[in-house]
Amino acid sequence: MARKLSMKDAINEAVDQEMTRDPTVIMMGEDIVGGAGASGEEDAWGGVLGVTKGLYAKHRNQMIDTPLSESAYVGAAIGAAACGLRPIAELMFVDFIGVCLDQVYNQAAKFRYMFGGKAETPVVIRAMCGAGFRAAAQHSQMLAPIFTHIPGLKVVCPSNAYDTKGLLIQSIRDNDPVIFLEHKNLYGHISDVPEESYTIPFGEANVVREGKHATIVTYGQTVHRSVDAAAALTKDGVECEVIDLRTLSPIDWDTVIESVEKTGRLICVDEANPRCSIAADVSAHVAQEAFKALKGPIMMVTAPHTPVPFSPALEDIYIPTADAIASAVRKSMAR
Amino acid sequence: MSNNPFPLSKERLLEAYRMMRTIREFEERLHVDFARGDIPGFVHLYAGEEAAATGIMMHLNDRDRIASTHRGHGHCIAKGVDVKEMMAEIYGKATGACRGKGGSMHIANLSKGMMGANGILGAGAPLICGAALAAQKLGHGGVGVSFVGDGASNQGTFLESLNLASVWNLPAIFVVENNGYAESTSVEWAVAGESYVDRATGFGMPGVSVDGTDFFAVYEAAGEIVKRARDGGGPSLLECTMVRFHGHFEGDAQTYRGKGELEDIHANKDCIKIFRNRVREAGVVSDAEFDKIDNAVVALIEQAVIEAKAAPLPKAAELLTDVYVAY
Amino acid sequence: MTGPVVGIIANPVSARDIRRVISHAGCLQITDRAGIVLRVLAGLAASGVREVVMMPDRSGLRGYLTRAMSRAENAGETKFPELRFLDMKVSGQAADSANAARQMRRMDVAAIIVLGGDGTHRVVVAECGDVPIAGISTGTNNAFPETREPTVTGLAVGLAATGAVPCAAAFADNKRLEVTINDRQEIALVDVAVVRDRVVGSRAIWKPDSFTELFVAFAEPTSIGMSSIVGLLAPVKRGAPYGRRVIFERPETAPFRLSAPIAPGLMQKVGVQSVETIKLHAPMTPTAPAGSLAFDGEREVTFSHDDEVRIILRDAAFRTIDVSACMAHAATKGRFVEADGALSVFTRQLGGSA
Repeated sequence: MARKLSMKDAINEAVDQEMTRDPTVIMMGEDIVGGAGASGEEDAWGGVLGVTKGLYAKHRNQMIDTPLSESAYVGAAIGAAACGLRPIAELMFVDFIGVCLDQVYNQAAKFRYMFGGKAETPVVIRAMCGAGFRAAAQHSQMLAPIFTHIPGLKVVCPSNAYDTKGLLIQSIRDNDPVIFLEHKNLYGHISDVPEESYTIPFGEANVVREGKHATIVTYGQTVHRSVDAAAALTKDGVECEVIDLRTLSPIDWDTVIESVEKTGRLICVDEANPRCSIAADVSAHVAQEAFKALKGPIMMVTAPHTPVPFSPALEDIYIPTADAIASAVRKSMAR
Repeated sequence: MSNNPFPLSKERLLEAYRMMRTIREFEERLHVDFARGDIPGFVHLYAGEEAAATGIMMHLNDRDRIASTHRGHGHCIAKGVDVKEMMAEIYGKATGACRGKGGSMHIANLSKGMMGANGILGAGAPLICGAALAAQKLGHGGVGVSFVGDGASNQGTFLESLNLASVWNLPAIFVVENNGYAESTSVEWAVAGESYVDRATGFGMPGVSVDGTDFFAVYEAAGEIVKRARDGGGPSLLECTMVRFHGHFEGDAQTYRGKGELEDIHANKDCIKIFRNRVREAGVVSDAEFDKIDNAVVALIEQAVIEAKAAPLPKAAELLTDVYVAY
Repeated sequence: MTGPVVGIIANPVSARDIRRVISHAGCLQITDRAGIVLRVLAGLAASGVREVVMMPDRSGLRGYLTRAMSRAENAGETKFPELRFLDMKVSGQAADSANAARQMRRMDVAAIIVLGGDGTHRVVVAECGDVPIAGISTGTNNAFPETREPTVTGLAVGLAATGAVPCAAAFADNKRLEVTINDRQEIALVDVAVVRDRVVGSRAIWKPDSFTELFVAFAEPTSIGMSSIVGLLAPVKRGAPYGRRVIFERPETAPFRLSAPIAPGLMQKVGVQSVETIKLHAPMTPTAPAGSLAFDGEREVTFSHDDEVRIILRDAAFRTIDVSACMAHAATKGRFVEADGALSVFTRQLGGSA
């Protein structure tokens, strides 16, 4: 009987198991324990959405609350990684990356290369991403493209609890800096998750649904909407293949190309803003590598070139909907 | 009774002199070779500031970590990075400390605890908080030393690091090398209150100011501060007031300096001359012994340049290597 | 005829040395130093001083002061005297205080108010000649300057400078130690310590193993710093016509040991071989053939057996403003009272004299 777990709990379990296995795995972030220095309950929050609740009780020396100081503590996690620890730094919202971006892209990402291969920086930066939470413009962005652009960083964005646990454990054990993006709207998403520790390799996409007429490539929250779109399209006799990229850097080009060679049609769905998005990246790569296989133009379904709006009426149409995805598939089929 | 009045043995005094002389000779050689057009990219020379790096590094070992600035050659040499590997790196050769892929501003040697010169000013401070945190968690008694300049002391990363090191009681030491100029901008213009000690105090740690051109003042103060950090006493800030002989970068005409300023610096504030005179006058080391070191250092730097010039450039395939451990 | 000009020398870089790490010495922020100066200025103005001249600095003091005073002016307040800064180069070192004192002496200021520790006061006294000084403690070791509210210091100095308090009451004579090392002349206001270290290094002294001898001009039981060693054994008042000399020995073999607060927050045990009284004007030579001399807690000069070192205790060497006496005089004479004859009735009722 498979054990069911939410994505949120899968994160907690992954960290718990790794901290137990390896005492050099530490985590630091704002309120990841909660109540630091205050007179009330210890472990008062366990993270702003309770993701890390209970870890402090089991791993007192490995969980550290930080001051409101991303440059300093994300930088410290990076420095500690270069000095023998395996730190996880939690950036509460990926939108805060601007405050400490230098430490991530000029320091962590570049140490190994700049130092001629003589450095290892096994740091994981976990951050909540994505829209749909009514958290408005500065707490809802999908900034994966900023990180995939940078050589030296690895970027992960799972769409379900099973992938989350395996990929997070893989990230913690990986010896390169990893940006681990957790879609806040998927925290409650439940799937079967094994109790034991397991890893999922980077650079391996997951074919969520097979189909012969069109390939939908996506990641994160829009995986589920793509699956919904595919279900609707079946009624019209269109069978879509849905590919969940899971890791955006390294990216599994092979699975994507193979699928496009089979279907001849590509629809890239991306919650990020359109310019320089993952959708644009995949589209350009496929256009170059599998041009002859294409039967029609590649379609990109992305958020608009706007900040994330607050009002639910607007936010709900900001994120690519199942309808919009289905519509794009139809458009591609029609040409 | 020993005739040596100094708090270091004769052997250690010679070691200090050799270290400072090596830095000076290395930098002055680069100054000449850069002007000739031999050297690609930018270099920022530490000449004139040797007493600070040396006075501090003589209290550190390979377990201790330092993070440096763009003006990092002095810190590298004082921390034990190989001079020939450094020269080759500056020439962009495959035999360089970073295989030619980092250059002057990114020389590093993690096995010697040198976490890199850094082109981003102030970026080393959080990294050193991390090094100090690791030392604490791994329990090996090491300390972390972050070098920043008077300019970078205004960066958010530096100020945040003072706070973080203080609230976490890290064995971290923040050294402000105040040479009076951030590029061309004077400290008087840029640094509110012009007091790093006040900044340290504001973040709950002690701050000390010493004359960075006096090796013994730096050595003594650094000794107490490092000991305090090793003993679990937490972070401190050490300001070393000093002078730099050359411009911000090589090629800087230094027109922002006052009349006679550079002449005065060379005549009266040369930390190596000051050290040598004092030690010689105390009768501990003779001119002949100093000269012997001078000659050895000149020969070493000359050899480093010869070998660097002769060394191969990195092969084209190197462009794509070492972005990741595994991808 | 112009009124008296009072000088202020506020050291912006006192309280910055190694004693912040090896003891719990304080660090006075620039804003606090500026506040102290403003309080002094308010006191001076209230006592009728219209002109103040100050040592310039590059550490933010000048900026704070000019801003605060222009704000007051804009608000129509007249509570500050006119403040101008000396025309001199600023190096950010002790030489600035010496330079400023020299200039103020030449300008014939009525008094100099000094903000600093023992070190700063020593530097000023070496140059101020006959100009009386009033000390406010803002340094590491404050054995010499009194701990006193700066507003009151300002009031007292103003009274003395304007002649509202007669000289005999307003000024006190002070002792000092005068030291010659060959041709070089130095002074100390409180103590001269002879230590084994033969480098000036980070200047402060705090290791009892290094102490060989101590000459003290005055020492209260409540003193802090090296003079506390005498203060807790055989105190000497500021006005007393003698001093003390202590010869140290390793604690293990010394006839007795004393614990004393030789730096703020730092009690150390010293071994004492002997304590003797030293007379005024009698030259003395340190017993140690070599070492360093620390004046008022800071190493300044090294010496060896080739050097001739002489230490002499002098009296009436410089003048200070007796703040207590000035304020007592002011209270008795009603210097701050405005009354139309009713005062004499009031004070007679209380038993005072008008």
